[in-house]
Amino acid sequence: MIDPASLASLGRIEIIARWVVDGFLSGLHRSPKKGFSVEFAEFRPYQPGDDLRFIDWRVVARSDKWMIKQFQEETNTRAAIVLDVSRSMDWTGSPERLTKLRYAEQVTAAIALLLIRQRDAVGLVRYDDRLRTVLPARARSIQWRRIVKSLEDPGAGSDSRMAEGVQQAAKLIRRPGIVILISDLLVDVDQMESSLRVARAAGHQVTVLHIMDPSELELDTRGEAIFYDPEGTLEVTATVSDVRKAYAKTVAHAIEEWRLRLAALGAGYEVIRTDSPFGVPLRKAFATRQRLP
Amino acid sequence: MSFLAPIWLVLTAAVAVPLFLHLMRRRIDMRREFPAARYLLRAEKENVRRLKLRNLLLMLLRTLTLLFLAMAAARPIGELLGSGHVPSAIAVVVDNSMSTGAIVSGNPLLGRFKTMARSVVQGASANDETWVVTADGTVAGGARSVVLEAIDRIEPLGGRADLMAAITHAAGLVLAADLPASTVVVVTDGQSSQWPGDLSLGPVRVVAYAPSDTAPYNRAVTMAEPRPPRWSPKGSVTVGASGADSVTFRVTLGGRTAARGLLRGSDEQVVRLEPSERGWLAGAVDLTPDELRGDDERHFAVWIGDAPAVSVLPGAGVFVREAVDALVQSALVTRGSAVEVAPIDEATKLPALLIAPTDPVRLGAANRNLERLGVPWRLEEVRRDETVARGTDVDGTSVRVRFPLRSAPGATAAPDTLATASGEPWIVAGPDYVLVGSPMTADATTLPVRAQFLPWLSNLLSQRLTREGSGLMHAEPGAPIRLPAGVTGFEGDSTIFSAGATVKAPSRTGVFFLRRGEERVGALVVNPEREESRLDRLSGPELTARLRGRDVVVTADPSEVTQRAFDASNQRPLQAILLLLALACLVAEMLVVRQAEPRGVRQAA
Repeated sequence: MIDPASLASLGRIEIIARWVVDGFLSGLHRSPKKGFSVEFAEFRPYQPGDDLRFIDWRVVARSDKWMIKQFQEETNTRAAIVLDVSRSMDWTGSPERLTKLRYAEQVTAAIALLLIRQRDAVGLVRYDDRLRTVLPARARSIQWRRIVKSLEDPGAGSDSRMAEGVQQAAKLIRRPGIVILISDLLVDVDQMESSLRVARAAGHQVTVLHIMDPSELELDTRGEAIFYDPEGTLEVTATVSDVRKAYAKTVAHAIEEWRLRLAALGAGYEVIRTDSPFGVPLRKAFATRQRLP
Repeated sequence: MSFLAPIWLVLTAAVAVPLFLHLMRRRIDMRREFPAARYLLRAEKENVRRLKLRNLLLMLLRTLTLLFLAMAAARPIGELLGSGHVPSAIAVVVDNSMSTGAIVSGNPLLGRFKTMARSVVQGASANDETWVVTADGTVAGGARSVVLEAIDRIEPLGGRADLMAAITHAAGLVLAADLPASTVVVVTDGQSSQWPGDLSLGPVRVVAYAPSDTAPYNRAVTMAEPRPPRWSPKGSVTVGASGADSVTFRVTLGGRTAARGLLRGSDEQVVRLEPSERGWLAGAVDLTPDELRGDDERHFAVWIGDAPAVSVLPGAGVFVREAVDALVQSALVTRGSAVEVAPIDEATKLPALLIAPTDPVRLGAANRNLERLGVPWRLEEVRRDETVARGTDVDGTSVRVRFPLRSAPGATAAPDTLATASGEPWIVAGPDYVLVGSPMTADATTLPVRAQFLPWLSNLLSQRLTREGSGLMHAEPGAPIRLPAGVTGFEGDSTIFSAGATVKAPSRTGVFFLRRGEERVGALVVNPEREESRLDRLSGPELTARLRGRDVVVTADPSEVTQRAFDASNQRPLQAILLLLALACLVAEMLVVRQAEPRGVRQAA
């Protein structure tokens, strides 16, 4: 299987996203939700509050029962992708791998294309220390070009205002939809939990793709160094050999904590390594969604 | 615990290196961007105690490693666990005197000694120092292979040598080595003549081997003496042997058998010879071989020449003239002018037998003539007191008229005083002259009328006043000798000695001709000491009593010598243990490091 870095080097982001989506054979899905579109689905009894335009008057005339026509929705759902473009995302542990940001952008483009091809409306929120991009959800094909173009906008701010980004995404979708958060999650858990809780309360399905460089999972360097956080003032002097085991344990513990807390919120959570093929995050993102209520 | 090389303890200062590295605040210049630094910080906080403990353990292991290595370099010894023996200085004294050449049970005794010496040296370790010392004082030391080769080269000496001096020398060697154990191993036949007294060796351990069996019966040539020393050309050889039974002997001269005979008991026999050869000849008397071959032959050398030509001046006196006539008739001298016999005032040349004048008024003329001839003696006023002479061949001679002799002012030569009268020189001799302080008349001295006069005169004329054949020397094997003036070396040996040099006689017996340039001018006769032929041995307790050391062991068991040669005290080298401990620390350190750095991670890094 071709690795993401090699694939990304073959062309621009939209071309690569098309290749990825074309290769993602099981991406299409049908929404279990019924909406009001042109394709008839079934009748149901009228209930107060239903739109009077959808009453089937012929049925009323024949049976003297107030029945409402239901149609299969063409635009199944509305999705918002929340992409973290802070400085911490613009990092790789090896020059042979994509940075977390480049990888996340590629995944974002692929997910957006996949959704649009399913006639889902897709919006995009990019944030770092502020909101960089806010694209309302649209199902038109032009929307994907907008999204891809916006991915080229600058980012890499020195902070991650994730709560703002998630809340903005929740606002972009008026009806319950999908919020896909793509981030390295180097933020305060409590702060993020509260913002995700708001999104969940609005009825959105939330999927978190935790982007991690392999070097963040396991310290694969050696020697002594001062390790500093590019987004803050934190500096840690460490001998890699001394803390390698403890670090791996700490990261595993942190991932487990994310998993538990997001599960408690009813949000999906997947760890995505930047050396994974692009199909992996797509499959995980939608598999998560189908498991959700 | 003590140290053999304490200077290396300075290396213990190296333990400060890991301590310093552990305690110093390290300066780290490398900075790495790492977004997940928060996880790293958390990992460090959670593991700080374990990391501190681990670093402390590593520091301790590294410090101990250096400490153990430094201590091992200082070569410690102590009464702890250890292996081998304490580093020892061992000198093996091999008695190779002539008596050890005796054949016992079909093999030379010395062969047994060499085997024992080899086995002792082979038991030495790299920390030991070994030497082999032979009875003649020859020392070989250094690498074990060198010592073993030296042992292989040991041959029986021609004589007694000095075993006690060799043992003393060996004790000095081992003490000077300054090692924890100093041992002298002596392998000897215990010949009693080699141990005239006690031998104190101070703090040195002594392990001695002496056989307990009885010494073999031995016969030896005890006498092979040519008389007179210069044959002209007749002479005789007096032959003697030790032992109670009869034994056949043979006399060889110039490499040819000159006579054979039978010796009964310890009798002496005189063998008269008149060889046709002239000059220096080597001779020997040998017996039927027995277990000890070294003393079955005894050497001698003679100078053989024509009888000296003597002229007697009229003033010498009737007794002298008659005596010389008798010697001429006996063919002991001939008529000629080589040697002059004359009154002092009439003598014309040297060599000469100078006799004091009969008339005291010729005293002045006599002294002037002595001065002219270069004789460093002068006559004093005549004395007419009767006295008795003392000296070789003239002892008891009455002297009534004499001119006391006094050394001439400024004389540098060292003349011989052959006889004295009233304590004053009466007959003196020097190169080419013999000076008699009394006239040879019956009223002056009884010498010319005594029976010894004729042999005395013959000896003077043929031995002392003849220039040839004066360079005969006798020595024992290995003894120091002072070469006569003019001798430059030995025949068959290209070494050139300075005039009057003191050299060591050869260690083998025989006749060694002296040379001046290419001319043969004398002979050195080397024969073994007579007491070396007595093979009676000391018993073990007797030998133990003669040796005074820290710990004296005398045994007749060869294996016990090897076993006890090295000090088996509680002190042992601890070097190996310390090296093992250092190795253990290194392994532990490696394991601790590996625990933190799994193999896969190291390879990946």
